[in-house]
Order: sequence, then C-alpha cells, then structure tokens
Amino acid sequence: MFSFGSLFSLASIGLTGTNLNLLYISIILGIIGIVLFYFYFRIVPAKEYLHEEAEAAGYERSNEYVRDKLSDKPRELSWKIFLYDDSKSIGLRYIFTSILFLCIAGSFGVLMRVSLTEPSPTIIGPAQYNVLMTEHATLMIYMFVLGAALGLGFYLLPSHLKLKKDTMGVYTSFAYWIWLAGGLFILISRAALRWYFYPPLSLELTQVGGGEFAWLAVLGLELIFIGLMVASVSIIKIIAFDRSPDIKLNQMSLFTWSILFTVIMGVTSAPPLMVGLGMLFYDYFNPIFFITGTNTLLFTILFWFWGHPIVYMAVIPFFGIIYEILPKFTGSKVYSYNSGVWGLGLLLILSELVWGHHLLNSGLGIEWITFFTTMSFLVVIPSAITVFNFIATLWTAKSIRMTVPMLFVLNGIVDFIIGGITGVMQSFAPFNEQVHGTYWVTGHFHFIFIGITMGISFAAFYMLFPTFTGGRKYNVSLARWHFGLTALGSYIMAFAWSVGGFLGMPRAVAGYFGFFQGYQDASIIGGVIIGIAQVIFLYNIAVSWLKAPSTSTDNAFEQGNTGPTDSHSAELNKVPAVSGGK
Amino acid sequence: MNDKTRKELIWIAGVLVVLIGAAIGNVIYISMHNDNLAQNVDAHPTYPSNATIIRVDATQWSWAFIYANGTESVDTFNVTVGKPVVLVVTSIKGAEQFAVIHDLSIPKLDVQLYAIPGQNNSLSFTPTVVGSYYFECVEYCGLDHYEMRGMMNVVA
Repeated sequence: MFSFGSLFSLASIGLTGTNLNLLYISIILGIIGIVLFYFYFRIVPAKEYLHEEAEAAGYERSNEYVRDKLSDKPRELSWKIFLYDDSKSIGLRYIFTSILFLCIAGSFGVLMRVSLTEPSPTIIGPAQYNVLMTEHATLMIYMFVLGAALGLGFYLLPSHLKLKKDTMGVYTSFAYWIWLAGGLFILISRAALRWYFYPPLSLELTQVGGGEFAWLAVLGLELIFIGLMVASVSIIKIIAFDRSPDIKLNQMSLFTWSILFTVIMGVTSAPPLMVGLGMLFYDYFNPIFFITGTNTLLFTILFWFWGHPIVYMAVIPFFGIIYEILPKFTGSKVYSYNSGVWGLGLLLILSELVWGHHLLNSGLGIEWITFFTTMSFLVVIPSAITVFNFIATLWTAKSIRMTVPMLFVLNGIVDFIIGGITGVMQSFAPFNEQVHGTYWVTGHFHFIFIGITMGISFAAFYMLFPTFTGGRKYNVSLARWHFGLTALGSYIMAFAWSVGGFLGMPRAVAGYFGFFQGYQDASIIGGVIIGIAQVIFLYNIAVSWLKAPSTSTDNAFEQGNTGPTDSHSAELNKVPAVSGGK
Repeated sequence: MNDKTRKELIWIAGVLVVLIGAAIGNVIYISMHNDNLAQNVDAHPTYPSNATIIRVDATQWSWAFIYANGTESVDTFNVTVGKPVVLVVTSIKGAEQFAVIHDLSIPKLDVQLYAIPGQNNSLSFTPTVVGSYYFECVEYCGLDHYEMRGMMNVVA
C-alpha cells in the first residue's frame, strides 16, 4: 500500500548516503527553480511594465512599441534591461554577465598561476587547485565565451537586420536566466573534474575524486545547454524570419553570418553531450552507463563531439566582429564579402569533423587517427581564407587609424596566426603523441582565446562603450595600457607554456618536476601582468562612467559596417573617429 | 575573372597545396609507424617478436610496471637500450577508489597512450640512448594527479 513515508524510504532500493542527499537536494533545487520562474514570468511585472511604457507612448500593443521604440535603437545599461524582454536588453544582460564571469574566472586563473611558484604546491593545495582549474575553464567557456557571443548577437542583430518583429523575448529571457543559474551551479559546486567531466572520475563523489558536489556541476552544465538551445533557436528565428524584407541574405552583415553559423553549430553539436550528461546523472543513482568499464570511452566521444565545436564557437562570432571593425578604421570595405561568408561557413562544416583529434591516443584505431588528423589539416583552409581576408583588407586600406579597438584587432590577428600554427602542428600524429596533454596545448589555445575571444570582446566593448553609457567616452591612455599589458602578458604566458609544453610539461597539474620551474615562473609573470591589465580596464570603466556624457550614442558599429547597401552606416563612417569612443 | 578574384584563388590554391602536402605526409607516417601509435589490444596490432612486454596498471595515483617474469615496480621501470618495448596499459581500481581514465606520456620518446578502465591499449618503442626519461600522467585523474609521474631508466 502506498504511503507518503515509503516515498522517502528510498534506502530500500539501494539509494543511501550521498545518493539520497543528492536526490533530495535536486528535488528541492528543482522546486525552488520552478517557483522562481513562476514568479519571474507571472508575478514580476516585466510585461506590465513594458505595457505601461507602451501605453504612455501611445501604443496599444507592447510588441509594436518594442519594434518602433526599442528594437534597433541603441540601449544603455540600466536596471530596465532586467524588465524589458526585447533582444537588445537581453543582449546587454548577456554581455555584462559575461564580463562578470570573465572577472571571476580570470581571477581564478591568476590564482592558479600564483600557486605554481614552487614545484610542490605551497600557497594553494592540490584540492583547491583542481577546483580552480575546473572553474576557470568551465566558467570561461560556458559563461564568458557563450555570454559574449550570444550577448553581442542579441545586441547587434536587431540593428544589423532592421528587425520588424521581436517576439521571442520571453523565451530568450528564460534562456538567459537558466544559463545564469547553470553558471552559478557550476560556481558553487566546487567540482574538480576539469571541463571534460570525464567519468568515472566525475562519478567519484569524494574530495579526492571529482568533488563531493560534482553532480551539481553536471546539472549546471545541462541547464546551460538548455539555455544555449533556446537562445540559439531564438537567434536563428530572428535572422531567418524577423529581419527586414529589405535585407536579402547576401546583404546581411558578416557579423550576422558569423552568429548564424555559431548558433547552427550550437544546435547541431550540443545534443549528444546533453544526452551524455543525462546518462552521467543517471549513473549517480544507478551506475549502468559509464562506470562498468566497457564503454568508458563513449562519454569522451560524446563530449568531444561538442567539445571541439565549442572552441570554434569561441572564435567565429569574433571573426564577425573583426569584419565589422575593420571598415571603420581602414576607411575601406572588407576585401571580399563572399570569401568572408564562405570562409566562416566552411569553418562551420569542417570544424564539426575534427573533434576526434582530442582522442588520438585513446586506442580508437588507426583509421580514427588517419581520418581526424587529415581533417584537422583541412580545417585550416577556411581559417586561412578568413585571415587572408583580414590581411587583404588592411593591405588595400588607404590609411589605418590605430584606435584602441583596432589595436585589439591587429593583435588578435597576429595571435590567431601564432595560435593557429601551433594548433595545426598538433595534427601530425607523432607530434600529437608528444604534446597532447602538455602545456603546448594550453599555450596554443590561450594565444587564440586571449587574442581573439577576449581581445575582440574588449574591442567590441570599447566600440560600444559610448552607447552602453549614454554617451560617455573612455580614457584612451588607460585603454591603451589595458591593451598593451594584456597583449604583453599573453605573449609571455602563452610563449612560456608553448616552450615548456614542447619539452613535455604536463598541464592541469598542481605541482611539477623541478626542471620546469623556469617556464612556470615566466608564465606566472605573464599571468599577473594580464591580471593587472584587467584591473586597469575595470578602473577605466568605473571612472569613465562617472563623467558627464560628451558624445552621441549613435554608433556605426551597431548599425553594421559590412552590409553592402547600408547607407546609414556609410555616413556614420565618414565621421572622424572620436577619441575615446566609437 | 577579374584581378581580385584571381589573387584570391591563387592564395587559396597555395594554402591547399601546403595543407594537403602536410596531410599526405602525416598519412604516410601513420601507415609506416602503426606500432608506435596507441591501439586497442583487441585490434591485434603487430609488434616485433623480440620485444619486452611490460604491463602497466594505472591507479589513483601511481603507475605499476609488471614484467613478464612477474617482477613489479612502482613509478619507475628499467628497459634495455636498443631492444623494442611493448607497453600494455590499463586502469584498475585502487583501494576505496575508482578506476578512472589516465594517460601515460613519455614526452622525450614520443610515447603516449591512454589508460582506460576495461580496455588494454598498447604501443611499442625502441629506446636508443642510455639515460633517464621522465614520464607522467597527462590526463587529469583526481586529487594527486600531479604526483602520478616518475622516471624510466634506459640501461645498457
């Protein structure tokens, strides 16, 4: 006979201790989440607030108000962005949340560097180091990279596409909140899994394994994926159905294309890992999938099917931003619009076919190694087309203005070339055998992530700064210091890693052989310099925001520079660059 | 075809030649050095018949090297110079712990193979210079992952 008591005596079916607590906490978290969402979407007056504003402006429907008054207009940062559910407000939410998580994860990164001053762990023990390593990687990838890419997409697309509708706001808002909840789950989970989440380690819920609350990180990651899916579908809908009929496909800005390819990559490659994470979570209760041994590698395969595309999602939107920034400061069009679109499109297709190169030494077969190393060489073709397109644009330019965003762009291109070459070298099977799992790989992707992902995000942020702040200018000399120190620090750090890794210095370790200390110390200096640079950036934002507005919020970058028929932005481009903005 | 398109095509052709050349070189290497790449034992890779076979059991957090005659050493092992060595690597459960994924790497000898629970991976290599070579676990495997390292001695 069913009784309420028997529902909670789950110990009888083998659920005890940690598993039981896990189940209770999951249920409680689930209920709290549902209640919060209910409040947010029903009782919190987001819709009413917007409706009142619309009525005050003489509109009967808030949708039309959003379209005419909000949709493609510049927006500044204020608390209203949490109440409005239009694309631009949600874009701002994503952008500023991603900056917050960049600071959190970045400070974790600096802490990790500092803890490696001695070959044996001193300041920070291995348990804390492993947590910092996991959080740095996971939060950077899922909160900073995805936040910046989606945020810039939601913020810039309505103006680039002259949106005629903006009707997915509630869903996109849901996507934002669930993405944020996922990030917070990962932050508080103190998981020590590395961002791979490989079982059986992630099933080892102890201090010495994946961390006692590693399951919370698994839940958090699943939430982030749900958020990503909803946001991606929303962006695809904006681009495919909501754009102005005046804008044909071949007139869309290159940034629009890059975001379209990014979200297509998201929806096509994340589902296997979403299923994998579900199986992993089920294993906490009833270990049948990954712990029995015969199919341990299955999770790694599901993971890397997503794990490689995500690192391309961290560069493709920022290539789009580079295409948008170049015309502004070179005074000429992008060298080849078609090459730009085809380069990014091919990158989308080929980058989904190379993920197996993360598993070359796992014993998956010679055929596996042959196919994925060959594809890894071919994926360089679209990257090279894109970089040559940047270089050709700069080459044919009449004059190049060295503004702060332009410095970030030029540095990003150089970083991408270095990181790209150190990356493609790993496609050689014997070389991969030597450097896989060493700091060589860390150096390779930090060249690209700091140069392209972070650097171009900063470039976009500086471009949009007057808009975000209602017409304030940033301090140019501080911004130049920010740029210079970030670039210098990243070169020192990533170069020291690359050389050390070439000699076999393993990554993801809390201690190391004494003879590697020189490379570690050099990278500590680089890492600390990068940290100082970001403090300068935050200080610059703070003091500039306190000044009085002194420029207009109209922005060529926001209107789109690469749409061939965009006369509005062409006029804006003729305006000489204002120091400290636009 | 205008001048601009021609320049673009020349660049793309140049990139294609370099990359496809590199890819072909890589495929040739793979086909000639099969035995130096990590393979599942179930796929029956072929190795030199005079090779020393060493069984490697990875646990959290040490490496055990077991020779055919039953001698076992932890976190260090000896091989003979000029004689091929076959490593057969797997991951086993330590006391109170899990069998998790490890990755054995000897960077200076270009040796790397994953230790996977329930799977035996193998490769062969021939040390040619007498000396000590460091090896390490390069797949994160829990708390003391960084201590999962040691020295291989190549003796005459």
